[in-house]
Amino acid sequence: MRVKDGVLKYGFVGPALIFLIAFNIFPLFYNIYLSFTDAELSGGIARLIGGRNYGVIFDDTRYGTALRTTGLFVILAVAIELLLGFALALALQKPFWGKPALTTILLVPMMLSPAVMGLYWNFILNGHYGVVNQALSAFGLFQPQWLTDPDLKLFSILIIDIWMWTPFMMLIALAGLNAIPNHLYEAAAIDRASRWTIFRRITLPLCSPLLFLAVLLRTTDALKQFDLVMAVTGPNDRATQTLSALLYQVMFRGYKIGLGSSYSIVILLIVIAIATIFIRYIASIQAKQGRETA
Amino acid sequence: MKYLRWLVIIPYFCLATLPLCWLFLTSLKTQEAAISPTASLIPTTAENTAPGGLSFSATLDAYRKLATPHTGKAHAFFHYLFNSVIIGLLSTLASVVLGTGCAYGFSRFRIAGARDWLFFILSTRFLPPLAVVVPVLMMYRAFDLPNTHLGLILLYTAFNLSLAVWLMKGFIDEIPRAYEEAALVDGYSPLQAFYKIILPHSATGMAVTAVFCLISAWNEYGFALALNNAEAVTVPVYFAGLQGNIQGIPWPQIAAGVLIFVVPIVSFTVLVRNHLLRGVTFGTIKQ
Repeated sequence: MRVKDGVLKYGFVGPALIFLIAFNIFPLFYNIYLSFTDAELSGGIARLIGGRNYGVIFDDTRYGTALRTTGLFVILAVAIELLLGFALALALQKPFWGKPALTTILLVPMMLSPAVMGLYWNFILNGHYGVVNQALSAFGLFQPQWLTDPDLKLFSILIIDIWMWTPFMMLIALAGLNAIPNHLYEAAAIDRASRWTIFRRITLPLCSPLLFLAVLLRTTDALKQFDLVMAVTGPNDRATQTLSALLYQVMFRGYKIGLGSSYSIVILLIVIAIATIFIRYIASIQAKQGRETA
Repeated sequence: MKYLRWLVIIPYFCLATLPLCWLFLTSLKTQEAAISPTASLIPTTAENTAPGGLSFSATLDAYRKLATPHTGKAHAFFHYLFNSVIIGLLSTLASVVLGTGCAYGFSRFRIAGARDWLFFILSTRFLPPLAVVVPVLMMYRAFDLPNTHLGLILLYTAFNLSLAVWLMKGFIDEIPRAYEEAALVDGYSPLQAFYKIILPHSATGMAVTAVFCLISAWNEYGFALALNNAEAVTVPVYFAGLQGNIQGIPWPQIAAGVLIFVVPIVSFTVLVRNHLLRGVTFGTIKQ
């Protein structure tokens, strides 16, 4: 049905698009403008100061540290979640009694609020009365100070992130595994292929497009890591200050929104680069689906 | 090989669910029992249990205390829960309505640059909240919107629209065009065809979309923290603000509150379990 009713179609798509432009495109450009001013959160008149903010951020050691912390966090979180999630998906591949219920229970953590669960994990990981350390002491093991040891704080945030997001990788990996046609496995069985060969030649290659999609989605999300950092250490801890936490510290604790905006431009560039890869990838998947159904 | 898989599933299952079980146990404890360095595991109805033992006397005090404001806070937990409910429901309603219309437009009409528009919509989801929040805050100041429910409702609607459009487009694309064509032949106007054919057939899709929008609005923290400090504080911001409390963090109350906060989400997750994959991949992967 191709209705040539110009007014009607813009009536359908228009409101949503106007909304999105007002809340995304406008802030984006306003951010670029702010990054060339000395605007403060408290209000007052902002003056254009040219590229001075950009000069400041390249001298600021916090910025380099935050970039490193975020990078380290993203790489470790995504890699561990991918491996764990894929291992779980492989374990859950074949049907067994209770599998749907078990899978649903395993998926619950990813639906919960990172800010709220992060706060609650403070209780679990507490050095004195935390249940983790009590369990470790019951086995006579060393009791790490998860929340106060500078070398461990980022690791603790990583643990919480892995708890929350491994199910996400598992969900997408399961979909990839389910989509592999059974006749390929049957043919491999006839050829007496070893388990390892089957995994390397059938399971992994056929699953990898979806795994890549999962990795891209998780990466863009992990790059924004803020909620867990706030819950575990607050925004101004050298050991855990991610880019978003640094932004919050500069803009809402330091009131320097002009400077903060110049920080955010650099973050945006990174996120946009990765999001572009993601979107191209989605487009290629859709093009492929279109060919298959056509 | 058969047992190998249980070697993966069972340890992971235990580790992943223990925090949630512990949450429930903690909500039944007194503050002293909760922060005791020897954790007790078994709730009993006995009035007095020896400190340091395996069992503790279960109490619903933590739940009762949620009704009274915590030291240093203006309102009780339920006030903030109510804020979360209002903001979550209204923003979800708005995103589903706008998203369904937009998805229908892109699904059924020839629109110039449709693909570019759709990918623009998707890309808005990737912007880090903290990188766009200051301009939004300045814009809100001009309209007196910071610290209001409306401000957060509008912001969450915008934030969830990308998801709503993409999810709904996936669902509407699946409805055969023949249905509407038949309706048009019968003399329906295009708008009537939308109301009488598309909307009823995409009811499931709208419900699934609503659940995902509600969950992300319910859980959101960055925007809520940056835009609010008094009037429209949601539960995540309220909980985060309890840190650094002079009297120590009231863990049993937090556990009870978290449980109340989380139960709706868990039930919704169970309801949409067959559509979870769609939800987390913006409708691009269907099964």
